[in-house]
Amino acid sequence: MKIILIMFAIPAILLPAACVLYIFYQAMPALNLSLIFGSDISVVGVNSIGQSILPQITGSLLLMALACFIALPIAFSIALFHAFWASQNHKKLLMTLLQMLQGIPPIVYGLCGLIVFVHTLQWGISLLTGSVILAIIILPLLSNSLIHAFARIPREQTDAALSLGLSKLNVIIRIWLPASWSNILTGLLLSMARALSETAPILFTATVFSGITWPDSIFSPVTSLQTHIFYLAQEGSNIQAIHTAWASAATLLLLVLCFSLMAGYLRRYDTT
Amino acid sequence: MMQTNIDVKNTPKIHVQKDFLVVEQLSLQLENNPILNNISFSLPITGITTLIGPSGAGKSSLLRCLNMLYSTWGGEITIDKTSIKQWQAGEDNLRKFIGLIAQKPAIFPASIAENVTFGLPRKQRKQDTTTLIHDCLIQAALWDEVKDRLNQPAVSLSIGQQQRLCLARALALQPSILLLDEPTASLDPRSKQLIEISLRRLAKNMPILCVTHDLEQAKRLQGQLIFMCDGKIIETGESQELLQNPQKLETREFLRWEVCDCD
Repeated sequence: MKIILIMFAIPAILLPAACVLYIFYQAMPALNLSLIFGSDISVVGVNSIGQSILPQITGSLLLMALACFIALPIAFSIALFHAFWASQNHKKLLMTLLQMLQGIPPIVYGLCGLIVFVHTLQWGISLLTGSVILAIIILPLLSNSLIHAFARIPREQTDAALSLGLSKLNVIIRIWLPASWSNILTGLLLSMARALSETAPILFTATVFSGITWPDSIFSPVTSLQTHIFYLAQEGSNIQAIHTAWASAATLLLLVLCFSLMAGYLRRYDTT
Repeated sequence: MMQTNIDVKNTPKIHVQKDFLVVEQLSLQLENNPILNNISFSLPITGITTLIGPSGAGKSSLLRCLNMLYSTWGGEITIDKTSIKQWQAGEDNLRKFIGLIAQKPAIFPASIAENVTFGLPRKQRKQDTTTLIHDCLIQAALWDEVKDRLNQPAVSLSIGQQQRLCLARALALQPSILLLDEPTASLDPRSKQLIEISLRRLAKNMPILCVTHDLEQAKRLQGQLIFMCDGKIIETGESQELLQNPQKLETREFLRWEVCDCD
């Protein structure tokens, strides 16, 4: 039995590791410091070989940051409602809704964003539209993280604090946040990693492939690493473009890995 | 009572009267399960009232209703003729007025001194609280054991000491009523004795309602005794009298450590 389990476990570990190694192997020819810090900034995808991908990295990080900025207070409110005010039936309904939201394919969100925000609300293809869509996508993950972070706080501590006449706001500030900050940050970092790895929804709602570097405002379109890779990968005949795509993919992978590792590290500080 | 600078401007003025806290036809349902059924009793202005009964009788739920940690109950609870549902200063203020100490000590991740003053408003915590901390720890019979390490983490205390710290923390708010949910469960005999001494001393100035499974303790604490079973009050009376001559079959069965069947 043990041998069978090990046989299943080995590919589960080796396959992702092999993928990562292969990405870095392919990226090697284009992976250098000028890819990020070079003064020649990439404006048009296919002509960007050897140019800096800093605008794309900035675009991806801006989308991610704004998405988290929008999603965090909403997720926080959901988690607090779940903890303090929701009845058992409300809790069941809420968790079912969050699971349903999590199960919707990201491309569907992208399509909805295109119709509702880009066309109906006329926000256009912009940083704001993409961030709102990403915020909706990461909301279930972030809400679940916060709900579980708060649920791990011993009930006795909350009751003891309430028994001392502390208001619910005081209980949150003085008991819950200090006790669960590492779990909250872990959830946030995982959500950031998720936002950073989404491509399909921002393809319709936030990004353009060429012609821009930095967004002027939240209503401007952005370029992003994800769509940059998508664009370059279509240039199958241009070997340099493919190498740059691999290098961009390696950079994106490093960013996502960075957030995931930070999340893992923060779990050490879990005191609940 | 101790001399402290607690701000009591929002606390209603209390007049001395026989029945200070009155519970009338209190009923509680949680998730459609009846927990309390037509509970009626009263607490005098001073003295200890002990609440006994088998596990699941609703004793802890009753304390949570009195403290408004459960607020979906029916019936009436009044303190000095004021319904606690119409408490002018709000639920949070009411909970400062009615101290509740749980069975399992819940210590906050802070120092011993900070734990004592945890429930005070921010402004008062910033002021000099040395006297208040001293007085409360004396009353909780903990001062001698912690006076040299007030700034050390409270989690370093033993369970018995933590329980007494919870008592000191509740006393720092100068409550007018004290509710205790098995305060000496899982404590060593010495800690148990120290808490009982504190309670008897405190009961001279305030009503105390104490849940216990320890019949010997109920005897020692004296005062009024209430026997609860299956969400109902079965029998009340003076503790010595009730424990020696129970009138109801359920009480007799419980006192003989037999299975309580209240149906």
